[in-house]
Amino acid sequence: MEDLSLNIKKVLIVYLLLFVALISYFSYFAIVKGEEVAYNPRNQRLAAKRNAVLRGTIYDRDGNALTKSEKTGKSTQTREYIGGEAFTHIIGYNSSKYGRTGLENTYDKELMAGSEFSFFDRFKDPEKIEKQVGNSIKLTIDSDLQKLAYNELRALGKNGAVVVLNPKNGEILALASAPSYDANNLDKIWETISNDANAPLINRATSGVYPPGSTFKVVTTVSGLENMKGLEDKIFNDTGKLTFEGTNFILKNSGGKAMGKINLETAFYRSSNVYFGNLAMELTNKNLRHTAEKFYFNKEIETEGFYISQSKFPEIPSSDKSNIAQSGIGQSEIQATPIQMALVASTIANDGIMMKPKLVSEIINSEGETVKIFPDEELGRVTSREVADKVTEYMRLVVTKGTGSAAAVKGLYVCGKTGTADHAKSITKQADAHSWFIGFAPQEDPQIALAVIVEEGGSGGGNAASIASKIFQAALK
Amino acid sequence: MKGKRWESRLLIATYALCFAMFGSLFLLKEPFDKGAIVMAVIICLLFTYGYIIIRKFFPDGDKFIIMFTAVFAVIGIATLYRIDTSVAIKQVVWYTLGMTGFIALVVLLPDLKTFGKYRYFFMIMTLIFMSMASLIGSERGGAKNWVFFGPIGFQPSEFGKIFFCAYLASALRNHKKVTDLIEPAVIVLACLLFMVNQTDLGSALIFFGIAITMLYISTSNSKYVIGCFLLLAVGAIVSYKLFGHVRARVNVWLDPWSDYNGVGYQVAQSLMAIASGGFLGSGIGLGYPHLIPVQMSDFIFSAIVEELGIIAGFGIIILFFLLFYRCMRAAIFVEDRFSQLLAVGYSTMLACQVLVIIGGVIGAIPLTGITLPIISYGGTSMLTSFFALGIIQKISEDA
Repeated sequence: MEDLSLNIKKVLIVYLLLFVALISYFSYFAIVKGEEVAYNPRNQRLAAKRNAVLRGTIYDRDGNALTKSEKTGKSTQTREYIGGEAFTHIIGYNSSKYGRTGLENTYDKELMAGSEFSFFDRFKDPEKIEKQVGNSIKLTIDSDLQKLAYNELRALGKNGAVVVLNPKNGEILALASAPSYDANNLDKIWETISNDANAPLINRATSGVYPPGSTFKVVTTVSGLENMKGLEDKIFNDTGKLTFEGTNFILKNSGGKAMGKINLETAFYRSSNVYFGNLAMELTNKNLRHTAEKFYFNKEIETEGFYISQSKFPEIPSSDKSNIAQSGIGQSEIQATPIQMALVASTIANDGIMMKPKLVSEIINSEGETVKIFPDEELGRVTSREVADKVTEYMRLVVTKGTGSAAAVKGLYVCGKTGTADHAKSITKQADAHSWFIGFAPQEDPQIALAVIVEEGGSGGGNAASIASKIFQAALK
Repeated sequence: MKGKRWESRLLIATYALCFAMFGSLFLLKEPFDKGAIVMAVIICLLFTYGYIIIRKFFPDGDKFIIMFTAVFAVIGIATLYRIDTSVAIKQVVWYTLGMTGFIALVVLLPDLKTFGKYRYFFMIMTLIFMSMASLIGSERGGAKNWVFFGPIGFQPSEFGKIFFCAYLASALRNHKKVTDLIEPAVIVLACLLFMVNQTDLGSALIFFGIAITMLYISTSNSKYVIGCFLLLAVGAIVSYKLFGHVRARVNVWLDPWSDYNGVGYQVAQSLMAIASGGFLGSGIGLGYPHLIPVQMSDFIFSAIVEELGIIAGFGIIILFFLLFYRCMRAAIFVEDRFSQLLAVGYSTMLACQVLVIIGGVIGAIPLTGITLPIISYGGTSMLTSFFALGIIQKISEDA
């Protein structure tokens, strides 16, 4: 009779391989898919754990609470948004019915992270486990500025957005979007706000995309100074309009007036469309697009705590002169978020270096100890210090003797650029222009940079510039 | 005497595990749960008693088999205790009966060689148990594989497995030519068809695994193995096309979320439990085993892993392989062909059960509901596992 033990050994090896395969798949599942499966919204453990820990608080930069959570039972709790409408777009909401948005979503894990327990804590203080409180987060937002920005927009009765940040470290001081809504009683208002034509659910400051209009001339100027030697000294004859072969489109200055023989400086503070339209054609689409992309158009902007929709600068064939000319003055198909334009101003203020915008500065545990600090980070150098200084001078002139005089604050060297962005409501109907202002102050040592847009607010020198003035005044005086 | 040192180490480690697990359960409740400590002491006494008997009176046999079962029993009963105390108490009774059966087999059974000739008795018993649920079975948990006599219910295919292995061992022990394989092939096919009829695909898969392993070992012919796998592939495709429930299982395996509120619910819950526990687990008492369906029998592995971690899952899988290895080792050294094939059959039966159910609950293969030997709650499963191990223990003595 033959010996079967060799067969048995072979079978053992086959089964060993099967067991190894089982463990391998198990490891693969745990490492690759584990997190996604564990955080699947259908996982009831999340809700159970969520309510076992009292949700952490969100504080503004001065330590004022913007939310307040309270336990109403062993596994139930309520959350009140103390800050009200002005803060809704930043903080978002945390609702079992409507989901989570804003920082409530981004920092969900931290806000519901319970404390660590040692083995002996169970005996020393069993109540402590039931009284767990999640981590808190500290924002860079200045509540007074935030409220001011929001209330100014509301006072006009218009939709719009304001972004205020510190150009030196990227800390966002205010991020207002109007209209907003009250996250405290979503059940009551949900139907209304989700059907409202003014779209209060959208955070316009980070996700609203608009034609930037003449505020974009800052980018065009940077591109011109970088790519064309001696541009500042060149004299250009502004006849008040620019015509293009093969199309009946005419690019005009505001009010159609001819500015005559002007240089870059004059063209900038008087906001000549003809000059910048011509400059864009001389620069070519490729060079201007390259500069725009250095300012993070067509790119994802890294942030701490929130998401920014991409701003767009189009690729235009060189034969399409009229579109190229319009791209120089922020029209054509250029689309920018308010925060994108605030970052443009902030970069000029910070000698050409763009800082990573951040909304959250610290994570603090329930004992008040700092768990994590988010350091200042550079997104990179966009342009040289010399070019930034030059553009700063021009932006100062906009406020002293140009289109942006409404932004001036007595005793403060405000720099800025206005924009009056045409946009079509529908194919046939031209709507009122969006009113834009971007800028920073004080000129010698910039502390804040901002962007203001008032939808259909008319000329940039009007509504937007006067809101900017009030913000500069409140923040720096 | 190197072996003995390892045995006592394993014994001590098992005590430690037992008291660590029940100790945690003792601390979890307020006021402290003294019942947990009583359970721990009872379990420790039980397996120590079994170990001493084997060690003292049957020193030639394998001593690790009973120790591995002790580890599984500790893990299983502690998990059941955490989920539902009354079930754990019942399980201790089943464990006691299983151990008693195990020892009784070793003490009372005459030499196994003599059973080799009862081929047709085994065959008839196999067919009776396999067909029983098809004829008078009732549906439970989606499969029609339970039989009730008054208040007592059991899964006949669990007992059928025991006779199935015995029949194959006896039929294949002295096969000489291909035609000798026709009768066993017909019986195996009949069993598989009964299982498909009872929608018990897990058992069908296990019978296939047992049959093919025993066939290979007795014939040394890998062509048969390839042929069987081809047949399996054809069978699988045909049943996929033919049966809606098979399709549903496969689709849910491919994407557990696709039918979350239907067939996919169980797998999805199991996967979420395992993933939530992570590598180190949430800790005993800190998981949510009640969210897992059938958490005490088929899905007990997910409940264990959620609280004790994926690491513990690895440990259980490795221990099962070691148990399988010890069982196969017994087969290597035994002279008699029938005993040898029987040991292989029972070892494979346990190994396949582990592969199929753990593979199912972690989503590696389509889920089919069967129990995890010794760990899962269930009298039938406990008794058959210990019966099989008792036979192997007996065989290991002759080696």
